[in-house]
Amino acid sequence: MAAGEDRRRITTRLTVLQVSVVVAFAALTIGFWYLQIVQGDRFAEMAENNHQRTLALRAPRGVLFDRNGKVMVESRNSYTISIVREHTKDLDRTMRLLAAVAGLNVEDVRQVVARHRSEPTYRPIVIVEDASLAQVAAITARRLDFELPDVVVEEVPTRQYPTDGLAAHLFGYVGEASDTQIGNGIAKGAIVGQSGIERVYNNLLQGQDGARRVVVNSMGREIRTLDESPPVEGRRVQLTIDYDLQKAAEDGFRHAGFNGAALIMDPRNGEVLTYVSLPAYDPNDFAAGIDRATWASLNSDALRPLQNRAIQGRYSPGSTFKIVVATAGLEEGIIDDDFRVNCGGGANFYGRFYRCHLAGGHGLMDVRHAMEKSCNVFFYTVGNMLGVDKIHKWAEKLGLTGKTGIDLPNEQESLVPSTEWKMRRFGEKWYAGETISVAIGQGQVSVTPASLALMMATVANGGTKVTPHLVRAVDEGSGWKMATPPAVANAVVFKPSTLAALHDGLWMVVNAAGTAGRARVPGRDVAGKTGTAQVISNEGRARARGTTRDLRDHGFFVFFAPKDNPELAGVIFGEHNEHGYLGGPIARHIIETYYAKKDGRPLPVLAPKPAPAPAPRETVPDPDSPPVLEDAAPVAAASLPAAGSRQPAELGTR
Amino acid sequence: MFERRLYHHIDWGLITAVAALCGLGLANIYSATGGWTGIVQTQISGIVLGTIALIVCLSLDYRSLADKSHFIYIAIVALLIYVLFFGAVRGGSRRWIDLGPVNLQPSEFAKAALALVLAKFFGESRRWSVTRVDLLIAGALTAVPVLIIARQPDLGTAVTLIPVALAIAYVAGMPMRLLGTLAVVGVLAAPVAWKFALQDYQKERVETFLNPEQDARGAGYQQIQARITVGSGGLWGKGFNEGTQGQLRFLPVAHNDFIFSVLAEEHGFAGVLVALGLYLFVILRALEAARLAKDRLGAYLVLGVLATFTFQVIYNITMSAGLAPVKGLTLPLMSYGGSSMIATLAGFGLILNVRMRRFTN
Repeated sequence: MAAGEDRRRITTRLTVLQVSVVVAFAALTIGFWYLQIVQGDRFAEMAENNHQRTLALRAPRGVLFDRNGKVMVESRNSYTISIVREHTKDLDRTMRLLAAVAGLNVEDVRQVVARHRSEPTYRPIVIVEDASLAQVAAITARRLDFELPDVVVEEVPTRQYPTDGLAAHLFGYVGEASDTQIGNGIAKGAIVGQSGIERVYNNLLQGQDGARRVVVNSMGREIRTLDESPPVEGRRVQLTIDYDLQKAAEDGFRHAGFNGAALIMDPRNGEVLTYVSLPAYDPNDFAAGIDRATWASLNSDALRPLQNRAIQGRYSPGSTFKIVVATAGLEEGIIDDDFRVNCGGGANFYGRFYRCHLAGGHGLMDVRHAMEKSCNVFFYTVGNMLGVDKIHKWAEKLGLTGKTGIDLPNEQESLVPSTEWKMRRFGEKWYAGETISVAIGQGQVSVTPASLALMMATVANGGTKVTPHLVRAVDEGSGWKMATPPAVANAVVFKPSTLAALHDGLWMVVNAAGTAGRARVPGRDVAGKTGTAQVISNEGRARARGTTRDLRDHGFFVFFAPKDNPELAGVIFGEHNEHGYLGGPIARHIIETYYAKKDGRPLPVLAPKPAPAPAPRETVPDPDSPPVLEDAAPVAAASLPAAGSRQPAELGTR
Repeated sequence: MFERRLYHHIDWGLITAVAALCGLGLANIYSATGGWTGIVQTQISGIVLGTIALIVCLSLDYRSLADKSHFIYIAIVALLIYVLFFGAVRGGSRRWIDLGPVNLQPSEFAKAALALVLAKFFGESRRWSVTRVDLLIAGALTAVPVLIIARQPDLGTAVTLIPVALAIAYVAGMPMRLLGTLAVVGVLAAPVAWKFALQDYQKERVETFLNPEQDARGAGYQQIQARITVGSGGLWGKGFNEGTQGQLRFLPVAHNDFIFSVLAEEHGFAGVLVALGLYLFVILRALEAARLAKDRLGAYLVLGVLATFTFQVIYNITMSAGLAPVKGLTLPLMSYGGSSMIATLAGFGLILNVRMRRFTN
């Protein structure tokens, strides 16, 4: 009995084991089915990510040429040193070793790594941009020794700008795309134009990044390349800028010893030949990723090197604004060539006495001589006859209001007040007394140097408000294609008598007994006008005494040349240079360079600056100096709007 | 001693399936190690030596072998103790006896020795039921090699000895109540073992299994990579020698513990079904041998050998899919490893032996 029962029990229990095994195998089958069939695609993708890497091949940005085909901005190859964390066992050790080998501050390295912590581990974190050859050699040697297997050295194209910061504000700079720039073909980490031409024409210049798909092993080493799409270089762009004129302008500023801005264009078509804003930065600092210290110093610099003064700085134009008043008077028919005003050193308007800069008075002045001598009384009178709205109307026609439309980012709007503007802005009516200050470019008149250049171009070409622009031609990949110049914003045809009066008067400023004799170029008939822009009111000046703020006035020199059929028109803005005529030599150097080049003569070279003699304080009264108001009627003063720092009321007693 | 008629009772089906699994293993080792390497050659020597061991185990009557089982058992325990003191150290544990060109791993042979001694013990028992004293003796016989191997330390191999005892005791008639009690004690002991018995690295392995992403660089890495390897194989696999996970070393010890992952990657679900089918066939066929055995001794011997084999197969395949904690357990017949191959084939020699001699006296 026992044997049979034993046999049966063995059979039963064997069956139990049999079934258990079958169940276990069924479970395994289901497990594999789930992994391989249900989740197969997901894991296939993960396996692919495991061993395939898509490496971006950065496209070189398009080369920028000047109008004569000279290369201004190009791309060079530089080395970046990056950490790929994917197979890093001890990141801190890698960072410490890398810092030691490359001579970096380990804290900086940590910060960079921390910033990119959330990115996929296979994406390189760039630690050093534009590494020196010594750094590259040191890293490569350690890499071969497997000491730094997770550090890679890559060759990438980097922007190369002129080393002397030439035209820095024109070119702008490049940098890693910010979060708001991402999208629309711009990927995270892409290098895009952040300012200047680089930004405006980024789409043309950027090119098409390529990619290389490689197989890597579990150590992250590349085994082979699967496929590669080469990067497409950005479009080559020819600028309207003339390298030699640009250099002449910047040399001129350096020689003169002040900062400022200059914009010189061809008044016939709006092509910008020279674009200066000083002080500038070195765009090369940005090209390979700007370091924190440089960025901080650029931002905290009291001279504000990041401000693009030619289009972002707004100043009162001072006497250069008299061109607007003259134009308005002549075109509106309020004055003519024979209209004369007697200047006795000042005049009364609306209960206040407004002074001319020449205490003794200019005597009888017609429009030409008033311009030559920059007679305030003449323009007070004409301005008063015109009224602010007519002045505004002609300022607008000349291009002094709003933006010039130049193809650079962040242009500021120029402002010439009007009754409508004041009502909109302050909800107050315009006082006729305010017009008197406006007539000599004071008061709320606030314009950019670029708009003054446009004004001169419009005056030079007889009324056509061109749009200043910077691109002459673009290589679309199949040869150069001339860029379509922007449409003319608006065109009026000045009366010949108006043009004659304006051109004569401005010619006399330079070539007769005017204020800008320093800009005279024999035989070239330079026409121009100086102006001084107050930085602060006289009252404010008193209050600010003792501070470190630079309160010296700005100087303008606006010009065109030659007088008949002008080929150049522009502005020289001198920051805190106190006298508009100091811009004259810079303009002269540019004009001389222009003609030397045109005639095929050697380009002029500025004589080395004489040793700075103890400069005697200017004793000759500057005709552009802000007029001084005497016998100010308190009522009138109180009635003036108290906004801004350049109020007529502040022209008060010294 | 080897009669001609016995030849006709050899289970050629089982031999074919075992040979096919050895072949599959060889092909995947070839692929995982990147071609005709020393590893492949060692594996072939293992198979040749294993075949000789199989023939030897087949030729001797298992009953005479069982009669000498206490000698075999004592010899193996002696070897294990020898290894513990004089063995070659590799990877932090003493498991090997260095014999010049070959390294022998006695713990692999302990499985067959334990199967023999337990089969003999239960099979020759005069009583029809299993007493507690029997179980205690069986437990002691099992515990000796288990503890010695665990001291090497090689917990993986040590654990594979336990199914030998459990399977034989179960079929020999261990009361179900006792089995239940053992299970309850096991569950209750787990936290205690967790706290006192397990080493930190062992705890870490279990924790990692439960949450591999927590340690994706370290211990969880193998598990994640195992899942990716298996999952990316899809239905038909990436093709022989085309697996990226194994080839590019994303999967560690691919030719050894993770050989099944390599198969799953390169041959897909289809290949997995074939391999699982072969293993299932081998196990069921061997269970059949236990059922057909002439005596209890034969049945228990087959079960003992089969228990450790089945346990290892199921655990390793589960692990190779990343579905169980990573443990240094090889896949019998397929994984790289000479001692394991020889011991496993010798074990199958015993199984074939029992089936072949079912009609003899």
